[in-house]
Amino acid sequence: MVDETKSQKPRVGVYICHCGTNIAGSIDIKELQDFAQTIPNVVLADEYQYMCSTPGQKKIEDAIKEHGLTGIVVAACSPRLHEPTFRTASKEGGLNPFRFEMANIREQNSWVHMHDRQGATDKAKDALKMAVAKASLLEDLFPKSVPVEHSAMVVGAGVGGIQAALDLASSGIKTYLIEKAPTIGGRMSQLDKTFPTLDCSQCILTPKMVDVGRHPNIELMTYTEVEKVEGYIGNFDITLRKKARGVLTPTEAETRGIVGGGCNGCGDCEQVCPVIKPNPFEMGMAPRKAIYIYHPQVVPLIYTVDFDSCVKCGLCVEACGEKKAIDLEQEDEFVTVKVGTAVLAVGYELFPVEKKTEWGYKRYDNVITSLEFERLICASGPTGGKVIRPSDGETPKKIGFVLCAGSRDNTGIGKPYCSRFCCMYSLKHAHQLHEKIPGSQSYLFYMDIRSFGKMYEEFYYRIQDEGAKFIRGRVAKIEEDPITKNPHVLTEDTLLGQPVDIELDMVVLASAVQPTEETNHVRHLFGVSQSMDGWLLEAHPKLNPCGTTTAGVFLAGVCQGPKDIPDTVAQAEGAAAAASIPIHVGEVELEPYFAMCIEEKCAGCGMCVNLCPYSALDLVEKNGRTVMQVTEAKCKGCGTCGGFCPGGAIWMQHFATPQIVAQIDAFLLGGEQ
Amino acid sequence: MAKAKGYSDENLSVRLADRYYRTEDASPDFLKNVEKIGMTIAHMCYQCGTCTGSCPSAPRSSYRIRKFVRRAVLGLENDALTDPDLWLCTTCYSCTDRCPRDIAPTDIIMAMRNLAFKREIVPRNFLNTVQFIYKTGHGVPNNDVNRAARVRLGLEAEPETTAKYAEFIPGIQKILDHYGLKDKADEILAEGQ
Ligand SMILES: Cc1cc2nc3c(=O)[nH]c(=O)nc-3n(C[C@H](O)[C@H](O)[C@H](O)COP(=O)(O)OP(=O)(O)OC[C@H]3O[C@@H](n4cnc5c(N)ncnc54)[C@H](O)[C@@H]3O)c2cc1C
Ligand code: SF4
Ligand code: SF4
Ligand code: SF4
Ligand code: SF4
Repeated sequence: MVDETKSQKPRVGVYICHCGTNIAGSIDIKELQDFAQTIPNVVLADEYQYMCSTPGQKKIEDAIKEHGLTGIVVAACSPRLHEPTFRTASKEGGLNPFRFEMANIREQNSWVHMHDRQGATDKAKDALKMAVAKASLLEDLFPKSVPVEHSAMVVGAGVGGIQAALDLASSGIKTYLIEKAPTIGGRMSQLDKTFPTLDCSQCILTPKMVDVGRHPNIELMTYTEVEKVEGYIGNFDITLRKKARGVLTPTEAETRGIVGGGCNGCGDCEQVCPVIKPNPFEMGMAPRKAIYIYHPQVVPLIYTVDFDSCVKCGLCVEACGEKKAIDLEQEDEFVTVKVGTAVLAVGYELFPVEKKTEWGYKRYDNVITSLEFERLICASGPTGGKVIRPSDGETPKKIGFVLCAGSRDNTGIGKPYCSRFCCMYSLKHAHQLHEKIPGSQSYLFYMDIRSFGKMYEEFYYRIQDEGAKFIRGRVAKIEEDPITKNPHVLTEDTLLGQPVDIELDMVVLASAVQPTEETNHVRHLFGVSQSMDGWLLEAHPKLNPCGTTTAGVFLAGVCQGPKDIPDTVAQAEGAAAAASIPIHVGEVELEPYFAMCIEEKCAGCGMCVNLCPYSALDLVEKNGRTVMQVTEAKCKGCGTCGGFCPGGAIWMQHFATPQIVAQIDAFLLGGEQ
Repeated sequence: MAKAKGYSDENLSVRLADRYYRTEDASPDFLKNVEKIGMTIAHMCYQCGTCTGSCPSAPRSSYRIRKFVRRAVLGLENDALTDPDLWLCTTCYSCTDRCPRDIAPTDIIMAMRNLAFKREIVPRNFLNTVQFIYKTGHGVPNNDVNRAARVRLGLEAEPETTAKYAEFIPGIQKILDHYGLKDKADEILAEGQ
């Protein structure tokens, strides 16, 4: 790190931003500017309305040349917003961009101390002092570029994952689509119709599913889970567990020398299998065998053996005959693939609504969930599309739909958020009921109807016009008539101000949704954060809704927060585009904030090696001594090792000990050494 | 405040007076006081109706717990404290069990009753209850019908309360006296309102 400015006495330029009145409204800019002049090493202190504007940046560029500045400090907003802007300006002025330092006097000051002008101004002085102290010691740094693997991975093959994979693959990127279930399709394949257009869900999804199966750039791996993730953007090494499905595809059969064999989906095995289990795809309302497919349109059309319930009688092997597709001794296999970027699209599950005991789900026969209703009303469902009451198989005529069942609930039992699609699908369910059962009547118990999407309010109008009855009251309780098994819904019609007791044939709970059980596991593998409610956390809710704080990892669909199919598909396309950029560019710049070993000081104790959460450190022999060595591309600059090293032998670039100590001194001692 | 309009007939004036809610009608401290005494977040109510839907009183009366919460939010102190429905809550806590916003509507009612009592707005039967408690330690003292029923069920005629241990009654009286409850009850009842 040869550096001619280093030997020179530091010359720091300070710029204070008003941010309109965002900062100037609560901080005395003049006082701060006068103070800045008195800080050691400051040769110039200026202020401006909007430092991020072109004239603001120009000030920095000009002053660097004119005053021979060695460091720049801008006191303004959060570095997450404008650090890149001012680094570029510094670079334009001829200074190494890493000689720029930002003092956050907006998010961490003016916005939170709006009612204490003097206090805020004093705090800004501290922030400024500290930033100047650091800027005086900053060094030139040079980011490293690493090549990006020309492939991507999508985890989860619901409609979100399917769309992301198709987009990535169609832009010429080899894409691994990983699905833990035996088939792709996710929740959307369980739905009958979709609001507000009432397209048949399977009909619009299957073409995409078929495309996935056929796309030359997509390697589809169903019944597969992510086991381990190593590496970093551009170079992820991902280990996958291909769960033993007990059935070989034609290709797999061929590699075993079975010519013309492998599963062709004939289903002969299923006929003879003696073990019967509930089919989770049908929400347990239909049986499946120990060797099964979820439904006739699965992709890929390959049977799967449920080894937890298989009794290994071998009847299926016999039935399969010459195809020799079934291998009851198959074991899980592990493969590792290299990808440049990844998209997580792991979806959601229903909140276990039986936890809200007052609605009696799982206690009352005729209280079901919305997903069960989808299967009941679906022509390919367990009843062939005939809606029946679970208690007696009769056709229900009066059905109640309970909205916000477990959503918008701050009791700690339900979910505090709005699940966002239940209003709309409950309207859809009311319509389907009117359409299928002549003379039927729907009741929707609601607090607010949230029909905000394109053509959604119009859909609400249409369903109301069809005769749906809307009762504005959250359901307090459901009681069951012990003889007729009719549920009674008790609530207040808040618009009338009158308690109501509505006797119904069946009740459908529009249950809240929640992240799946494994979401937390997946997020740990990929180093992605979660928001308070457990959904995966985007990098920025407005400006980076598909990205995460881990470079190269993106989000699509409900796993990031409840959203309907149009929003899921839109986000998936966004995530795919974002994930393809580094791949198309071909290389990424890594921030040069990695650790460096000061070899003369390193005692080779190796304690840091085990501490590093990213396995970036190793011990090596150099000139007859054992010293630590950093793999720069793996190091995330977290500082764990640097803070720990007893000999002070680790130099954390851009966060070096002398720089941090200078900041602390500036704060505590006002800049005295 | 309702705006007066000049009708010559006074009855008509009253009947046709406008009923707009105006912010001047709001008592500025009512919500704050209710929340402080009731120790609950009344202002977080989103008027879902779960409380009224749960309430055993609601189907049999004009009492709507949800409306009282609304009055707290809007500062409608007079409306709330002078409404006789205020006294129809059985304090069963069903609403508190189920409120999705984790509010304790029951405690809002208790707070309002507290404030009403300070303004000497209390139904006579509640004051009679105070006198009974003062005298016997019970709101509903034991009686012969009860005693007979208890004996039939194989229980002692008197329960394990002040009914059996009258020596604890002075202690209860001391508590009631500390709050001046008995005197106040006597006073209001004597005024015969
Ligand atoms: C009753 C009901 C009715 C609905 N009706 C409509 C409607 O009419 N219109 C509409 O727009 N929306 C509707 N929705 C919403 C719709 O279901 C979602 O918007 C959509 O399914 C979201 O897709 P997704 O890909 O994000 O998630 P999902 O469909 O949940 O897909 C996620 C996929 O990831 C897989 N997966 C999970 N974890 C892992 C892992 N660890 N490794 C690998 N794979 C994994 C899952 O098996 C699944 O295949 C409805 C929802 C419900 C509950
Ligand atoms: S071996 Fe297993 S999957 Fe095959 S028929 Fe027997 S129980 Fe069914
Ligand atoms: S979408 Fe509608 S039913 Fe679902 S939680 Fe939101 S408001 Fe409630
Ligand atoms: S249940 Fe709670 S939120 Fe709902 S109306 Fe009653 S007090 Fe308000
Ligand atoms: S506590 Fe009072 S208001 Fe609440 S449900 Fe019971 S009787 Fe009704």
